Amino acid sequence: MKHFKETLYDAVCQEYRIDKLYFEHKTDHQHLMIFHNAMLGRVMTLDGIVQTTEADEFIYHEMLAHVPMIAHTEAKHVLIIGGGDGGMLREICKHPIDSVTQVEIDQAVVDMSIEYLPNHSAGAYDDPRLELVIDDGINFLKNTDKKFDVIISDSTDPIGPGEVLFSDSFYAHAKRCLNLNGILVTQNGVPFFQKDEVQTTYQRMGENFSDMTFYCAPVPTYYGGFMTFAWGTDNPLARSTDVSVIESRWNHLDIPTRYYNPAIHQSSFALPQYIVNALNDAEG
Amino acid sequence: MNTEQRTILLSGDDPNKRDYQSVVEKHGSPCLVYRPSVLEKQFKSLQSALPNVDLYYAVKAHPNSNIVKTIDALGGGFDVASAGEMDLLLKHRISGRRTIHTHPIKKDSEIRDALRFGATTFVVDNVYELKKLTAYRSRVGVLLRVSFRSESAVVDLSRKFGCEPNEVQQLVSEAESLGIHVKGLSFHVGSQCANAHKHAQAIRDCAALMHSINATAKTPMSSLDIGGGFPADYLLQGLDIDAFCAPIRQELNKLPADWHLLAEPGRYLIAPAVDSITTITGKSKRGGLFWYYLDDGVYGSYSGQIYDHTIYPLQVFKTGLTHACILAGPTCDSIDVIAENIQLPELEIGDLVIGLQMGAYTAATKTRFNSLPDAKFVVLDEHAE
Repeated sequence: MKHFKETLYDAVCQEYRIDKLYFEHKTDHQHLMIFHNAMLGRVMTLDGIVQTTEADEFIYHEMLAHVPMIAHTEAKHVLIIGGGDGGMLREICKHPIDSVTQVEIDQAVVDMSIEYLPNHSAGAYDDPRLELVIDDGINFLKNTDKKFDVIISDSTDPIGPGEVLFSDSFYAHAKRCLNLNGILVTQNGVPFFQKDEVQTTYQRMGENFSDMTFYCAPVPTYYGGFMTFAWGTDNPLARSTDVSVIESRWNHLDIPTRYYNPAIHQSSFALPQYIVNALNDAEG
Repeated sequence: MNTEQRTILLSGDDPNKRDYQSVVEKHGSPCLVYRPSVLEKQFKSLQSALPNVDLYYAVKAHPNSNIVKTIDALGGGFDVASAGEMDLLLKHRISGRRTIHTHPIKKDSEIRDALRFGATTFVVDNVYELKKLTAYRSRVGVLLRVSFRSESAVVDLSRKFGCEPNEVQQLVSEAESLGIHVKGLSFHVGSQCANAHKHAQAIRDCAALMHSINATAKTPMSSLDIGGGFPADYLLQGLDIDAFCAPIRQELNKLPADWHLLAEPGRYLIAPAVDSITTITGKSKRGGLFWYYLDDGVYGSYSGQIYDHTIYPLQVFKTGLTHACILAGPTCDSIDVIAENIQLPELEIGDLVIGLQMGAYTAATKTRFNSLPDAKFVVLDEHAE
């Protein structure tokens, strides 16, 4: 295969030239590839779907990490579910936390990412604050008695290994594992093409949190316009912080970013009308 | 039993004899001998007979890695119906983008497996099946399978699957209300068709349905999958596929130029590319008839004689006076008879019996009865000669 054709939709398809294939792994029904593309750097695909690229991963990882971390004034214990490529861990480790727990279902994804996508984790897997658990995310939540301030679900598409991370039971267990004023954020697809996904999450996650909404950012290789991130918390103030307050918290940390900044943080909760309409429809 | 017409070649020193003998010397018996060049020739002939049609090889006809490799190299697509068939393609890094999933009835887990593999085109023929796709509606494109009965086909594929033409409008409306896009129609007039008049009629009927629905539908239909049914030359009479396809071409030429045309050939492509080699392992004379016991039979490579209702041409390398005889397979079952009351010169233990045109629905339906080993699949490397 000299080209990778994404198989996410029948009617439209993005195609990437494979300039160099670094890694390919085929098991049961699973097909993972890491290759180089001139415009996007290293690209990881799973089952015909782009998971992450070196060129634009910063948008996704900065937004899914820094928004809840800054909104929660004193997040000390963070849980990442999935995120085996290490990009989320890299961003979380930039914060003054006491512990970060990462639950990844497959050790091989971590090992392979360290080897073939080294810029994603950038050494974060060596951080002494990290506890890496190899387990199914929902299984971990069911059995742990730990509590977290921020939980981030950095999952794959709902069809495949990430399926359970979009279930009622996942949201309920995540809620139980949050400290008071804790925040759950999850990747939630591109509603321009995947309207059902944002509606389903809105219904399922909404039952567990008094404040449930989405914020968004455009990630070029998750094409279709804005990607949404689901936001669930019982602290309604967490997302209505004044931008000057966000600025003072953020500037104090001195974290270099390429997408995230306090103005983006606040404005990312403003949703385009087509997404608002979809959520209203879901509420029925 | 098999009273149907069967072509038998009695060859003396046929040049192929040595090829078959050397295969057996190297690999043992029984074998299935695959000639990639024959598949290439068939593929190109069908492509030139149907120039605007994308060919999707029906993997079920013979799910084999070497055959998949040849189709891949020819740039063909693949018609798949199960996770096992998709796994076979995955082994060869064939993108789901080059496949269509054509099983009209699927479990939810099978739909999910197909989506993970990357197949996004699904075939549906009823409303219960449509509803199964609702959860995946943003990802899939649907072909509605329409049933047109064919009397001339050996295997009537419209009995088990396909909606009535007069149900199409209703199903398209149901799909629209479920938010599922029906991108076109598909049909199967049957396999091993004697002529293409049923194809031509079905194309006319489908085109009329599509035009009439497109006049009012929100999203137009633009795909037409004309299925399979392209015959193999089981009587070795010579088969002019270009002439066979002429009525199909004539109808397809009337369709809008921007429609996507698909076909799912299996038998026509692969049947002539594979021969079976069996060896006579026993011989007796019972009731005045010679019985020859072979090392492959209807529970193995000749299973198509049962499931596919196909009588394969046979070849032996003997000439001269013939006698009525019976060719029996290796299992203990009395049904395991390949040919009865055929006329052959007297054969000896160790002689080879060749089954011709044995690429389609042969090994695909073999069983493990009596725990006998499979016929070994041997690729004849013609380029090396």
